Amino acid sequence: MKRIMSRSFVILIVSLAMVAGICLLAFRLLTQNEQWVAQAYNGHVASSNGLAQAGDITDRDDVTLAYTDDNEERIYHEDYSTRCALMHLVGDNSFNISTSVQSMYRSELTGYSFVFGLGLPKSLRTNNSIDLTVDADACKAAYEALGNKKGACVVYNYKTGEVLVDVSTPTYDPQYPPEITEDNESEYDGVYLDNVVSSSYTPGSIFKVVTAAAAIENIPDIYNRTFECTSSYDIDGANITCEYAHGTLDFTQAVAQSCNVACAQMAVEVGAEKMTETAEKMGFNKTFEVSGITLSKSVYSLENALGDNQLGWSGIGQFEDLANPMHMAMMCGAIANGGTPVTPYLLDSDSSILHKMGVIEAKTSEQMLSPDTAAKVQDIMRATADYYYNARGLTMGGLNFGAKTGTAEVGEGKEPTAWIIGFTEDENHPYAFAVAVEEGGYGISAAAPIAQAAISSLVNNP
Amino acid sequence: MGFQVFLDIAVVALRFMLPLYAVVIVYQCFASMRRHRRPEKPLVTLEIKNTLQQIPVLFWENSIGRSKGSDICVEDPTVSRDHCVLLRRQEGWMISDIGSKGGTYVNGKRARGRTQVLIDDEITVGSTTFVLKRGDEFQDRIRPSWFFSKASNKGSLQPYKLMLLISFFHLFMAVEASFTNEVQDFTPFVIFGVLEAIVWTFFFVSTFAFKRINFELEALACFMTGIGALILYRKEPRMSYVQLIAAVIGIVLFCVIVKIIENPDRVDSWRMAIMIGAVGLLAINLIFGTVQNGAQNWIQIGPVSVQPSEFVKVAYIFVGAAALDKLQTKRNFFEFIVFSAICVGALALMGDFGTALIFFVTFLLIAFMRSGDFKTVLLALVAVVFAGTIVLKFKSYVLNRFAAWGHVWEYSDNLAYQQARVLTYTASGGLSGVGIGNGYMKYIFASESDIIFGMLSEEMGVIVSFALVLAIVMLAFYARAITTRSRSTFYSISACCAAGLMVVQTSLNVFGATDILPLTGVTFPFISAGGSSMIACWGLLAFIKAADERTYAARRLSKHQEDR
Repeated sequence: MKRIMSRSFVILIVSLAMVAGICLLAFRLLTQNEQWVAQAYNGHVASSNGLAQAGDITDRDDVTLAYTDDNEERIYHEDYSTRCALMHLVGDNSFNISTSVQSMYRSELTGYSFVFGLGLPKSLRTNNSIDLTVDADACKAAYEALGNKKGACVVYNYKTGEVLVDVSTPTYDPQYPPEITEDNESEYDGVYLDNVVSSSYTPGSIFKVVTAAAAIENIPDIYNRTFECTSSYDIDGANITCEYAHGTLDFTQAVAQSCNVACAQMAVEVGAEKMTETAEKMGFNKTFEVSGITLSKSVYSLENALGDNQLGWSGIGQFEDLANPMHMAMMCGAIANGGTPVTPYLLDSDSSILHKMGVIEAKTSEQMLSPDTAAKVQDIMRATADYYYNARGLTMGGLNFGAKTGTAEVGEGKEPTAWIIGFTEDENHPYAFAVAVEEGGYGISAAAPIAQAAISSLVNNP
Repeated sequence: MGFQVFLDIAVVALRFMLPLYAVVIVYQCFASMRRHRRPEKPLVTLEIKNTLQQIPVLFWENSIGRSKGSDICVEDPTVSRDHCVLLRRQEGWMISDIGSKGGTYVNGKRARGRTQVLIDDEITVGSTTFVLKRGDEFQDRIRPSWFFSKASNKGSLQPYKLMLLISFFHLFMAVEASFTNEVQDFTPFVIFGVLEAIVWTFFFVSTFAFKRINFELEALACFMTGIGALILYRKEPRMSYVQLIAAVIGIVLFCVIVKIIENPDRVDSWRMAIMIGAVGLLAINLIFGTVQNGAQNWIQIGPVSVQPSEFVKVAYIFVGAAALDKLQTKRNFFEFIVFSAICVGALALMGDFGTALIFFVTFLLIAFMRSGDFKTVLLALVAVVFAGTIVLKFKSYVLNRFAAWGHVWEYSDNLAYQQARVLTYTASGGLSGVGIGNGYMKYIFASESDIIFGMLSEEMGVIVSFALVLAIVMLAFYARAITTRSRSTFYSISACCAAGLMVVQTSLNVFGATDILPLTGVTFPFISAGGSSMIACWGLLAFIKAADERTYAARRLSKHQEDR
């Protein structure tokens, strides 16, 4: 009997294995229940593809962007352009845009809770509304300015972190989603990506902001230097070229006039190690999160660089460099905010009441630049705007601003990617912005007007 | 509108009460099991004649020998490692030699087969002689198993009160099932009425006709049977009726098995007949069986379809266990191995992977619990052959299941269709469920059997479904705790292995459905739809019931109480 008793511990082992399994199941249930519930086939929320019980989505001025009517039909904003402009942010009835609010926050919208599940009777159900920080009018303005170009436009308040404009194209009308067939495939190529958060483009000249910061920190007499530009300069056996000869330039002029020859020389002088260090400090090769959305990485990597020539190209935003629009806006936010960016957010509920009342500081990310360097880079960008862009008729709602455009070569037979990044300097309108336009051409002519449209709208329709 | 809100609040309150209520019932079942205790003292004592040293005899079956694992260990080089077995039967104490070198003597006469020993008789093994004495003369207290030792001293809940609690739970379920979102009618009360008639009849027969004082095991099974019958009603009323009919047959089988194995020696003479019967069933299945869902494990008899492998489970436990002095005989042992081989072989031919796996694990459990030293190697060998057979036979099938395992969301519309639904609806149910009949799980294929865990969780909440799973675990703890209090190793082994089988089956059911293990398609004991499964579960429960020594001592106990 004793022997049988001692051998019967195998039953205990089997039972304990089962208890362990149950614990694992409970753990998964606790941590993944929202994902489990948010399935399109879920019968409890099946009509409108799971949005039958979903609450309203509104913009910063309480304009309703999406709601569910009495027939359990999901209705989006009445204006076609506004619907298209906000499609990537708000989402549609499908789960195709994984970073949209209706995909990511579906369980919050439908009032799902782990305790009550989805089984509460209709009278007791509390679906949750979500207030977004964006301005629908400004988004519409940006969308219309983008026209039929593919690209991204983001504007955020670098003092509070509220994202005001978040527009990505190509897009479609969420109320009447198109049928995507072989014939119109190219028109909708990449339509399910929110380019603001999920894409990274070759930065081109906007990267000179990073090179300038690296030069300020690593070349002690940089402000006493002059650079000679004859439109072509040999580094390591191959040429770095400018469109025309800039002549003799000091440091600020070199960056403001976007001289490739000068900036490539700066990058080579700073060296691969220090360039990488500065770029990474400013957020390249890093993962950021905005309201739960993981941003596509910006990349600065010299691993495949063969010599100083490619190091030079990397310093002017070519080679293998990549930049994400939201990150670029954050970087400009950091420059205008003393070196440390306020983390952007999309959902109004992400900021606490105390924060709204100004009692506590907004949430900040890691420092990107020292306050001293930030001030110097800010001066350069302001100078660029004052002496160069203003002359070309670029304004930002009449505010003082700093900016840098970019025209990034992306290969044979393709128009360059047009960029503008920058910030406004105004107590009431502290905006950081980034615009990228695929195959747009020159930054100043293709990207800048979009930023101008978005910010004018924000300033003029408060 | 105001009234509607009031009504809805009441419904939600009821829904939240039920899970807590279920936890209380499961707790009470086991609390009652733990509180039943007999006085912890030796049954008899053995006195060594020369030294007058007293050895307590604690169990109904005791091995005597030189090896350390013996219940009565004799440090005498002339005694064999496993010398003989001292056992208690209806007729009194017996001694049975189990192939010792020197033989066993009672009052100087060599014992052949089982020989009766009376108080003050002398038992001689090797050069040691014991005298059998009464147990009262031994004073030291004996430490009981933790399962019983930490029970509170409060009086246990009387069986009829426990049954009342359970009936009220079923009543609440019937109310919920009557007022679903889609249909409102009182037909579930028919199921409730029949169910209560069955379980209360069973209770009264057990208490007054059989005079059994304890009913917790049966109560737990009734509780689960009722939950199954009531939750299935809104999926398919016919299933509920099948469950109830099967429950009646199951309860009868339960009583019959408890009766058959009342005398552990009678079991020995039945073993061959049961083996032949089980093999016959499997043979009929193989010849006349019909294929359903890829496995040929059904026999169609008129309008009734039966799954013979379920009944073979009961036979398997029956054949696998034996009394202590029979346990070590080679004949008994080889019979078991041959029978195991036939069972797993037949299931492999049928293509019933889930059941084959259950048999395989149960085989390991039984083999481990009964194997002596020299046989372990042989058993391990057989185990390897079995495993090989299963893997070869089910290779493509298993690979398919493994492909979906852990990739539910990638294959949520094909390979892992069912698992994805289980997870989604489990989470949708929340803690208290969406209410009986309000779920969407019931529209999914096999939601009444293989993936019933999803339906339970969705409609009754995860608290209830987890409590039911834990109830099965507790059953295994209970079966183990009563091992040494059983009247024979036959009961200890069969109880542990029957409980082990249920644990394995429940694990495969729950974890298969929730993607913790690959889906195998077995039933949840007592709850899943399926007559054969229900009957087999009651049959298995009989072994656990029989292991409790009070099951057969009831009459004597009640007389004892009257005397007081």
